[in-house]
Amino acid sequence: MDQGDKAAGPPAWLAVALEVEPFDVRPILADGEDPFSRLMELAADIADCGALVVDAPFNPSPLRRMLANQGFSSYGRKLAAAHWRIYFHRDGGSEWERGAEVTVGPEGAASWREEDGLHIDVRKLPPPGPMVAILRLIEGLAAAETVVVHHERMPQFLIPELAERGWRIDRVVEAFANVQLWLERE
Amino acid sequence: MFAGAFLTGAADRLLPPSVPYRFFITALVLHVAAWSLLLAGADQVLGFQGGLGPVLAALHLVTLGVLAMTAIGAAFQLLPVAMGRQLGPLWACRLTWWLLAPGTVVLAFGMATATTAALHGGATLVVGGLSVALVLLARTLAGVRALPGVVRHAWVALASLAGVAVLGLLLVVDFSTGWLPDHQAAAALHAVLGGYGFMGNLALGFAYVLVPMFVLGGAVPDAVGKRTSALAALALVIGGVAILEGAGPVVALAGLVGLVAVTEHLRALAKAIKSRMKKRLETFFRLLIPAWALLPASLLAGIALALGAPPERLAPLWGLLLVFGWLLSFVTGILQRIMPFLASMHSGITGGKPALLSRLTAARPLALHAALHGLALLFIAAGILTDSVLLVRLGAGLGLAGALALLAFAVELARRYRAHRLANPPPSH
Repeated sequence: MDQGDKAAGPPAWLAVALEVEPFDVRPILADGEDPFSRLMELAADIADCGALVVDAPFNPSPLRRMLANQGFSSYGRKLAAAHWRIYFHRDGGSEWERGAEVTVGPEGAASWREEDGLHIDVRKLPPPGPMVAILRLIEGLAAAETVVVHHERMPQFLIPELAERGWRIDRVVEAFANVQLWLERE
Repeated sequence: MFAGAFLTGAADRLLPPSVPYRFFITALVLHVAAWSLLLAGADQVLGFQGGLGPVLAALHLVTLGVLAMTAIGAAFQLLPVAMGRQLGPLWACRLTWWLLAPGTVVLAFGMATATTAALHGGATLVVGGLSVALVLLARTLAGVRALPGVVRHAWVALASLAGVAVLGLLLVVDFSTGWLPDHQAAAALHAVLGGYGFMGNLALGFAYVLVPMFVLGGAVPDAVGKRTSALAALALVIGGVAILEGAGPVVALAGLVGLVAVTEHLRALAKAIKSRMKKRLETFFRLLIPAWALLPASLLAGIALALGAPPERLAPLWGLLLVFGWLLSFVTGILQRIMPFLASMHSGITGGKPALLSRLTAARPLALHAALHGLALLFIAAGILTDSVLLVRLGAGLGLAGALALLAFAVELARRYRAHRLANPPPSH
């Protein structure tokens, strides 16, 4: 998977994907339902060189990672607050995360920078992947910076390890399938 | 700190600390009682192959009082968090303890003194407690798609638990009626299902989650857990039927299948540990590493027994390797780590400043416990192999001293936790 070509602009296949009507998962999530099965069904119907476009309230890194395993390249753009558009193209999955200015750590967690801090998405990682990815990120930070974690659930087991490293959870916002935690140094 | 937002996710909600800790504290107290009883009955360890008396009582104080007690307390606390599921009503968790803890004490008393009423009453309470736990855990696991390897090991463990409980009741009744056609075979199956089936599968499954988490290592792939749980289940089914049929070579074959599962299990854990972020392995690994070495050793001893090796020395040695060597070392090692870990976690979720693990953990008693436990195993094994009651007695004494050190660690942990809470009270809302 190529994550090094982030400055090269949109991929050539984007022209194909722009013709596709986006599938908006935001109302589904707002209703408290998980769109994952529906997305998998849609992806399964996409032929080679075909495209799928998804609108989401956040950068759906776990979905992008999974679809990359099924041969989809993806290209993401933040259109507005709580509105991301992700273009998927079935071509072998060689350009996963292109254009989203995302770094992918060894555990497969995507991290990117936004106005409120350094975000890391650890959803769909097998345990203890989320904990290891978060701790690896904060241990590698030089300056005082807020880390925003996107998790599937409240990571209770993380609390002792954070405290041991002089970090604390400043606040938590729980949404369906996206528990966000703002981590700060003590 | 992060106010009440922490407690809003129902699926993430932790049990009150009083629930898991009542199991852990009971386990620590019965750990001391078990070694004391073994010390008192040290002269009966040599040649032990079953039968009422202090050795059987000590064995059950370990298996029910320490191993099952810890496993149930830990499972009640950890499984719902790991699986994102609610466990069940709190009263049922508490009922489990109210049946299991007194039941274990009464049953051990009945075994030590050959008192029929205590045997029957204790066994009934124990089976009642285990049944409640079984239902609670089965409800939590039903329909879970996460961590399939771990979940399958847990299912094998629960199926084995049902078998252990039924056989345990039959064996207890048989002590006074003698109606079982082959008491020895039923006892052997009870031991195999309890040691390798119930506790063994829980240990294997928990290890896949806890060990990578504690060392901050790579996740064990689901495929490994699926394979090891399938192999473990296959070994138990083949071994179980063969024990009842008296087919020694087939029992040995089942042992070999178990060895394949164990090899795969240990290889996966070694890989997770090798990839760890934490440089130094903590004190509890001084118990886990010997435990992992003694697990295949117990299987080899069991295979030798099944192939007709003289049981006078090998049977007690097998019991020592399986129960005290593998399981007790593993479970007390995990207890060393999860007690302060859960204390730190609970201190954080109520909104107060979390207590630091490093400040809660008194290192000296932990190191002492690990050393004394290891020495106890060595002395008892040497005593069994050389027919020396003195060595067995010395070993039991060292085990008792180790158990007291672990208890002292828990008392100090409680003191430090309380001091932290007094110094850092949760914010009032």
